[in-house]
Amino acid sequence: MENLQVDALVVGGGIAGMQAALDLADQGFKVVLVEREPSIGGKMITLSKVFPTLDCCSCITTPKMSSVAHHPNIQLLTYCELQSVTEAAEGFRVGVMQKPRYVDASKCTGCRNCEYECPITVPSPFDRGLGAYRAIRVPFSTAVPQAAVLDMENCILCGKCEKICAANAVDFTQQPETFDIHAATLIMASGFELTPLNAKKEYGGGALRNVIDPLMMERFLAPTGPYGRVLRPGDGKEPTSIAYVQCAGSRDTTLGVEYCSRVCCMYAIKQAMLISGALPLAEITIYYMDIRTFGKGYEQFYQNAQAMGVEFVRGKVASIREDAEQNPVVKVELTEESRTVERTHDLVVLSLGMLPATGSNEILGLPLGTDKFIAVPAPNASPCATAQPGVFVAGTAMGPMDIVDSIVTASAAAAAASAYIREHQKEAVYA
Amino acid sequence: MSELKVEAKSRSEMLKQLREAHAVTVEQAQGLLRAQKQMHQSICKFIRENPKTVPEIAAAIGKPTHEVLWFIAASKKYGLVVEVGMCGDYPLYQRAKEAQE
Repeated sequence: MENLQVDALVVGGGIAGMQAALDLADQGFKVVLVEREPSIGGKMITLSKVFPTLDCCSCITTPKMSSVAHHPNIQLLTYCELQSVTEAAEGFRVGVMQKPRYVDASKCTGCRNCEYECPITVPSPFDRGLGAYRAIRVPFSTAVPQAAVLDMENCILCGKCEKICAANAVDFTQQPETFDIHAATLIMASGFELTPLNAKKEYGGGALRNVIDPLMMERFLAPTGPYGRVLRPGDGKEPTSIAYVQCAGSRDTTLGVEYCSRVCCMYAIKQAMLISGALPLAEITIYYMDIRTFGKGYEQFYQNAQAMGVEFVRGKVASIREDAEQNPVVKVELTEESRTVERTHDLVVLSLGMLPATGSNEILGLPLGTDKFIAVPAPNASPCATAQPGVFVAGTAMGPMDIVDSIVTASAAAAAASAYIREHQKEAVYA
Repeated sequence: MSELKVEAKSRSEMLKQLREAHAVTVEQAQGLLRAQKQMHQSICKFIRENPKTVPEIAAAIGKPTHEVLWFIAASKKYGLVVEVGMCGDYPLYQRAKEAQE
């Protein structure tokens, strides 16, 4: 077991966690960042472009990932699970378990020779299962750390990877490692999960191959996506008619998700604009209840999409079925015309909402709000303070929000954590 | 016995022991590998001479179109298959070796 003493422990290596860690580390505080995946980057590194600027996501995220990895005040613990959190003298004692990568990350150069040599191909969660990687792989091209990880569940232990590795990094005997971390303060940046694709059975998600979630579309639009272009996953056809179904996982009491997820309108508009660029002849329809474009520059973005020819249809989608050619047929109630119609598309994207991520929050035992995200008792006075003194929250761990707001709350959480640490250091000196 | 031979023998002994320790998952993974090899061979045989679309390949080998597309995407990523144009709304795929000749 390794013991670490730090000023702050940040849970989650997505954009909010990275920003909070960097802000604290730049002030001279020692920080440990714990991430459960083999690489940091979170959901943002899987996206194609950001709204409303249409800047490349990877170009924003990758430098931050690199800064985190190389910062002298940040210790990065990837592929780790939080095991326990207890209050201790002047802070918290956190137990962390590092899962075995079966690769020595300090030796691995990320050359991917092992990946090319491995005979087993498995679905890649980075590409939402639509793309593939090998049983031993570097998770994605810009992963940090740039080190391979072996999936023992799908390994035949043929030893080809070990043999080809010039750095002798493959280690089939690696065991889990535990860390006992003493931190003065904690920042929870555990992120969100997407509403399950099959949550609304009447929409056919998970059963109909050409009804997909928005993160799948993000991967199709990314240059490193599974097909290298936009194709429908059912049969590889280039779609000429694409529809978005808004509020497919939010503002829906039948799902127990009564809140608005705040990003779905904007990501649907953004993707529609990007598809217009990738497939200029494609017809794009967005079925919506109401469009919420509340951020700076968002309304203009919406108007630009309308000017580009994206069709906005006010209505509530009742159900989706499939015809003989695997085309999704959308039954929609047109609320302004008081009639129901069926329209056939090549591909349908369900604009799913945000749910709180499970795992770390339960271990910490922080009080949750009615929406099940981490509660913030005084949102106006202390927007990042949780009910537990010394524990702060950043990004979508506190509720649905976009990337801009995630970064703002991350910096706010870092500022609050910094003030808390300094206050307690002062108390210790005067005591 | 030379040092290299001793090292190779101990390595192979270690892998054997690990295979025994992970017998269940190794057996499952071997089954998966067999199925993948068969699928890969069927697809490659069909797209060796002429490029084909996913529905054409699926019809020829009797597999669902989404499964064939997944295999094509995986093979394309590792440089075994390439895209060589379009046939209507569908991209055409060919085995990389023949396409590059």
